[in-house]
Amino acid sequence: MNQLLTVVDILAISPMLILLTGLVLVLLVESFSKAPKRYVFPLTVATLSIALIASFYAPVSDHALLTHWIRFDPPGEFFTRFFIFIGLGTAFLASSFFRQVKTSEGEYYFLLLSSLIGLILIGIAADFLTLFIGLETLSISLYILCGYIKGWKLSHEAAIKYFLIGALAAAILLYGIALIYGAIGTTRFALMLEGYKHISTTAHTTLFLSGIALVTAGLAFKAAIVPFHAWAPDVYAGSPTPVTAFMSTGTKVGAFAAFIIVFTIALPNFHPLWNQCVALLAYPTIVFANIVALRQTHLRRFFAYSGISHAGFLLIPLASGGPDALSSLLFYLVVYATATFGAFATITFLDHHEGEDISIKSLTGLFYRSPFLGCIMGICLLTLAGLPPTAGFLAKFYIFKVAFEADNYALVIVGLLMSVLSVFYYTRIVGLIFSKENGERESLSPLWMTSTVAIAALFGVIALSVNPEMILMAIQFINRRN
Amino acid sequence: MPDLLILFTIPFVMAVLLSILPISSEKILKKIAVGFSTIPLLILLSQHTHLVGANIDYNWIPTLSIRFHLNVDALSLIFLYITCFIIPISLTIAPVSRLFYSLVFILQGLLIGFFTAADLALFTIFWEAMLLPLYFIINLWREKKHSSAAMQFLIYMIAGSVFMIAAVLSLYFSATTFDIKSLATIAQNVPHAALIGAVFFLAFAVKAPLFPFHAWLPDAYCAAPASGTILLSAILSKAGIYGILRVGIPFFPMLIQQWGPVLLGLSITGVLYGALAAWAQNDFKRLLAYSSFSHVNFILVGLFIWSDLAHTGAIIQTVNHAVVITGLFMMGSYLEREIKTTSITEMSGVASFLPKLCWLTLFFVLASVAVPGTNNFVGELLIFLALFNQNIPWLTPLLGLSIILSVIYMLQWMKKSFFGPAAPPDKNYTDIKAKQMLVALPLVILILWIGIYPAPLISTAQNALAAIMEAK
Repeated sequence: MNQLLTVVDILAISPMLILLTGLVLVLLVESFSKAPKRYVFPLTVATLSIALIASFYAPVSDHALLTHWIRFDPPGEFFTRFFIFIGLGTAFLASSFFRQVKTSEGEYYFLLLSSLIGLILIGIAADFLTLFIGLETLSISLYILCGYIKGWKLSHEAAIKYFLIGALAAAILLYGIALIYGAIGTTRFALMLEGYKHISTTAHTTLFLSGIALVTAGLAFKAAIVPFHAWAPDVYAGSPTPVTAFMSTGTKVGAFAAFIIVFTIALPNFHPLWNQCVALLAYPTIVFANIVALRQTHLRRFFAYSGISHAGFLLIPLASGGPDALSSLLFYLVVYATATFGAFATITFLDHHEGEDISIKSLTGLFYRSPFLGCIMGICLLTLAGLPPTAGFLAKFYIFKVAFEADNYALVIVGLLMSVLSVFYYTRIVGLIFSKENGERESLSPLWMTSTVAIAALFGVIALSVNPEMILMAIQFINRRN
Repeated sequence: MPDLLILFTIPFVMAVLLSILPISSEKILKKIAVGFSTIPLLILLSQHTHLVGANIDYNWIPTLSIRFHLNVDALSLIFLYITCFIIPISLTIAPVSRLFYSLVFILQGLLIGFFTAADLALFTIFWEAMLLPLYFIINLWREKKHSSAAMQFLIYMIAGSVFMIAAVLSLYFSATTFDIKSLATIAQNVPHAALIGAVFFLAFAVKAPLFPFHAWLPDAYCAAPASGTILLSAILSKAGIYGILRVGIPFFPMLIQQWGPVLLGLSITGVLYGALAAWAQNDFKRLLAYSSFSHVNFILVGLFIWSDLAHTGAIIQTVNHAVVITGLFMMGSYLEREIKTTSITEMSGVASFLPKLCWLTLFFVLASVAVPGTNNFVGELLIFLALFNQNIPWLTPLLGLSIILSVIYMLQWMKKSFFGPAAPPDKNYTDIKAKQMLVALPLVILILWIGIYPAPLISTAQNALAAIMEAK
């Protein structure tokens, strides 16, 4: 235990260390350089790229000082890479965003990198405390990012709301962790199932289950699951577009990574009551979000509800359990994140109104202003709607298959019915994009960095639709190894 | 077999080509589109029955056990012919737009996939996917007043088939395969077979559409541009019929026989309701829409009578309906282009200005009311015979009413619009030219050929029937 860390151990956590170095450099450049704007974005992208490469070559450490706190397993590696990709996408979107909205940039990238470290910590946590630190690192950076544009009134409101509710959620989560510790005397995931099985008294079982309930509620806040979703629409609507993109992908994936780590890796099928409770969360989430999304008129707010409804679908495999639950969750997350990034890349092009949310109507005739963007937005929305032949259909199909296998017929039926609504509200927007009626005609100013993200998302979605097996194999590998 | 792969991929390649070809002249673009669209038909004609047995089997998504498995049998071949024959004709009256051509080609590719899919999951994917291009075709080229027709169409279709996914999954978990042939043997005996069968039937019934599920039809048919209407009536309705032939009959033969009376009742009601509704229309596009609905339900009558004779008749009627309705909607679009209205009462005596159009329309109208010597006569006769042979012969005269009704509404339209007192023309009408005649010629030939010498088609239909029955 008191052995020093070797080079191998350092290399094992190198992705995070690289990000840490990068963010310090970004802060230094922002403070001391005369023209920081020229350097911070390339520096961020370089940091992320090196971290991504490092994540592929990082060795596995077995040093007790590390393995007590973080895991070196395939799911951890998968999440690390996934989060770095999300970080890259957000950085590119932000670079374009800052060409339209003039403000200081260095702090933005600093906060982005630190929230990524938080996300990665969630993904590789081996202990509730690491998980909590990760969540807090992520959240605190995000509170600031929400209100990043100081002149936007709506952003102030969003940031305060997010902070208050996020702090409450953190408290609930921490309370839950404390109760679990009280029940089984450990916060390590590896010992959790063992500890639960050895609980002898009813009092301790109650304590443990109460802890689990509070942890679930805390994570449900982060994932914006009904009835813990109330912050999401306002915060999404009030934040700058790249931050909203990051929240709807990074935070969502982070929250579900936490769910996966705690409930499918550490405590797989530990108690049917938990699965039933998650199903009880899934019903209102799917129903409510899909119905409310029907009436949205503004894009970021719309994506908040769209995100909530997808969170509801993601709860279905969690509620069902079974051998394929993890694979179907990860596949859905990959498809969802890719399509969402494509959509937000398009939104960035339209984002030049000071702080206001963008009206859905402004998409009218987008195809005739830019056929390229129109097609990307259309394909991404149809993917989110889960219409074949896009990968969105396969993702939903997989989730329903898992639910069917677990005899969760009611969830399948509700999910299918509500997906009819989602087809309505997504294709309505796609219809607008291709509509010839009185839309704006001015061509859009080119934003190369955002176009990169859009093209990458387009290729991602097409690749996932044509050859989903590619990513499914990788995911299956993770599932088997775990 | 690479031929099938070429047949499947070529429409998608054409869709991409047409959206990027650097040609600015709209006329040339249209010619290229029409020319391209005959390629699949030429492939079909050159291969013809050699294509039967063509097979592509690729382990697409092993994790989900979905195979990319396409297979052509005698039944697929008939529907492939319908698809590849109708699409070039519908493109000749299409609005000039790259996007439109691309959408039609994508639809064609998806239809070819659907009509050959041998994996139930793949079948479902194509089934749902073909809605998207149609949605855009209706929505982007609709008339202004039908603002919600496309969405109504899409939601109706999705809602009708959404539970099919659950049904497919439940079949999968009984046999752990999506292979249509293997599922056909066990589908009857899985738990809740009746429920699963009902879900499939609902999906097919909405798409065809069977009688009470047709609410989307008049608006969608009228809102779509003429070539879109042809795609909807001649091809999309056939997807529902193909579904019943491919999945309904082989998977759930007992159910069909059990529910026979109800289904037969619904479809006969549909035939008569469609005919009466067509009679009441004051707009010839709507009249043709209801007439198409009535005829599709006639096909369904044939499918729901449990006898080979009736099924043969239904398959023949499927071909006939596609041919005749295409001709009618095409003539309707020519008429609308000249007269600038679809209202029956607003035009009169058109025959004296547009004689050629009038006679050609009359030909298709006569084919539609099943005059002996035209193709509809053959198919309808077979279905009447089969219905009479069943133990409910009194239904035959009831169904026979539809013939009388169709004569009434069709000829009344002809009389009012074409042969009424001629109003003085407010502009010079241009009659159809040789080019349009040439487009209609294949339809005319087919109508007469099937009407006068139906034996080849009947034996093809019998082969197709044998192909699906062998699956059991």
